[in-house]
Amino acid sequence: MTLRTYILTRIALTLPMLLFLLSLVFLVMRILPGNPVLLRFEKNANPALIAEYTHRLGLDLPLWQQYVNYLTGLLHGNLGQSMVTFDPVANQILSRFPATLELTIGAFIVAAVVGLVFGSTAARRAGGKTDGTVKVYGILIYAFPIFFLGMMLQLVFGIWLRWLPIAGRMPAGLIPAGLNLGSVHIQTGLYTVDSLLAGNIREFFQAIEYLLLPCLTLGLVISGVFVRMTRSNMLETMKMEFVTAARARGLKDDTVVYGYALRNALLPIVTIMGLQFALLLGGAILTETEFNILGVGSYLVDRINFRDYTAVQGTVVFLAILISMVSLLVDVIYAYLDPRIRL
Amino acid sequence: MIEVVKDQEEVETFGLMPRAMHAVASALGPGSGRWFIVAGGIIIGFIVVMSLLAPLISPYDPTTLFVGPDNSPPNAKFPLGTDQYGRDMLSRIIWGGRFMLTVAVMAVLLCLAIGVPIGLASAYRGGTVDKVVSLVMDSMYAFPSLVLAIVIIGVFGVNAINEAIAIAVVYVPSYYRVIRSQVLTIKELPYVEGAKSIGSKSRHILGSYILPNILPSVVVVATINFADSILTTAGLDFIGLGRLDLPDWGVDLYYGRAALPIGAWWIILFSGTMIVLSALGFGLISEGLAERRGRE
Repeated sequence: MTLRTYILTRIALTLPMLLFLLSLVFLVMRILPGNPVLLRFEKNANPALIAEYTHRLGLDLPLWQQYVNYLTGLLHGNLGQSMVTFDPVANQILSRFPATLELTIGAFIVAAVVGLVFGSTAARRAGGKTDGTVKVYGILIYAFPIFFLGMMLQLVFGIWLRWLPIAGRMPAGLIPAGLNLGSVHIQTGLYTVDSLLAGNIREFFQAIEYLLLPCLTLGLVISGVFVRMTRSNMLETMKMEFVTAARARGLKDDTVVYGYALRNALLPIVTIMGLQFALLLGGAILTETEFNILGVGSYLVDRINFRDYTAVQGTVVFLAILISMVSLLVDVIYAYLDPRIRL
Repeated sequence: MIEVVKDQEEVETFGLMPRAMHAVASALGPGSGRWFIVAGGIIIGFIVVMSLLAPLISPYDPTTLFVGPDNSPPNAKFPLGTDQYGRDMLSRIIWGGRFMLTVAVMAVLLCLAIGVPIGLASAYRGGTVDKVVSLVMDSMYAFPSLVLAIVIIGVFGVNAINEAIAIAVVYVPSYYRVIRSQVLTIKELPYVEGAKSIGSKSRHILGSYILPNILPSVVVVATINFADSILTTAGLDFIGLGRLDLPDWGVDLYYGRAALPIGAWWIILFSGTMIVLSALGFGLISEGLAERRGRE
């Protein structure tokens, strides 16, 4: 299989999955009582006004036609307009996405570092006390609700010690400017990147300060899974011949474990970690809510309360596409780096 | 003579109760994973007993407002303090596991009722049906479970049954995956082939030959399912999609968050710890059982 066929096959398999998820959410949201129009008006509102709104939102059409319309729009990259504010859903999601991206990347780094360090140390002394301790850490951290860990960190570092901010992404009203060079204007929405582009080091460190607690919270909770994956992968690698050969040459244990085994296991481990992106996104919803970060996750929670069909649907579709794309990307990079996968 | 007695014992383990006792005894016997199972069992046992005895042992009514001053730190009269509505935290802790545990039990039963037959049938039959079901399950598995749960609860409304359904919907794919992969291996084994060749019906083969062999892995998944179910319920509570009128550890965290700025740590610390303990207990049991399976 060439790399091209591999990518095409993967995409072909992703599409029916997306369609299924999309249809599921579409149906669940429509077949049930309570719609955004009724939620907007009092019970005794003018029937003509209700009819007008229902028509404007396309909710008076037969279900199948609403479905076809929605799919057609989707193919044109149109996620529809919010049923409450009438803003285009795609714009709202995109404006909130950078916050989520920044949070998930930061959390991924925390989880990957903890996972690699703890996991490889445990594998090195498999069956021993260290291994047992790391295993208990994995089970314990998995048992922590993300928001509970978040609250405890907020309490200790934000309220008692007053070291770190506990809510938002920046002090009120402050948004890093990004790059402004004559006609060139780049603003990513990622505050760390924008502040660097603007050459404002102080804002950069401020953005990091705001990111620390949320990323630590989400990253630590996810790290339990990463520790486990690293450990089992390292155990496999350490059984391989090149590791035995390195030992036979009398190299120091540290060199064998970290210089040989971990270096070789790193690629597959980071790949599997990348495939856990859905786990990160799920956790991001709770983390964003806890730390008042205006991201895609808190957008979903916010919109569900308004029965904003199109917004909720759009968010689910957006997340599904994002997850498929990330896993596709991770797969392709891996297949490119390791030709054996394509066989 | 000794041989005969041994045989006798083995015959007896075919009854349902003796068989269950045998399973419990072998799970607690010496060997790896034993301490995980014992520790997890003690934690869960404690929580279940506390929840059952709640009406007898709780000092106050958990939902009555202002049985004491509001936001009172732990003291002699209220050992775990009170929340911002003057409710006794100790009583709320004692009562707080009931709803979550009920939802978890219902969710696990639902998952078993749906996931086991689908997994068995799909893997055993193979072909197009298996391909389609696998695709559907994979697409659900790849998606953040909390998002689906939020959508389902947000639309259907908050109650125990809906929460159990939401958890089951996101968890059935996990059962399906484990069962399917095991059945695919087992159905190629000689004794299944033997059963087929003497003309046994599919239902009989699935029920008597395959199902008993996949049960241990199903139990492992079910214990993690318990842990995840508690965490999901707590997550829904936290974003306001819970039964805010009930005494519930997750609901306490929802209210406690508002009291965080004034440093009222006692409202969140004890409830949060109870959630961690419950999930930890099931996690430990699951880990212990999985380790035991690995040894065999």
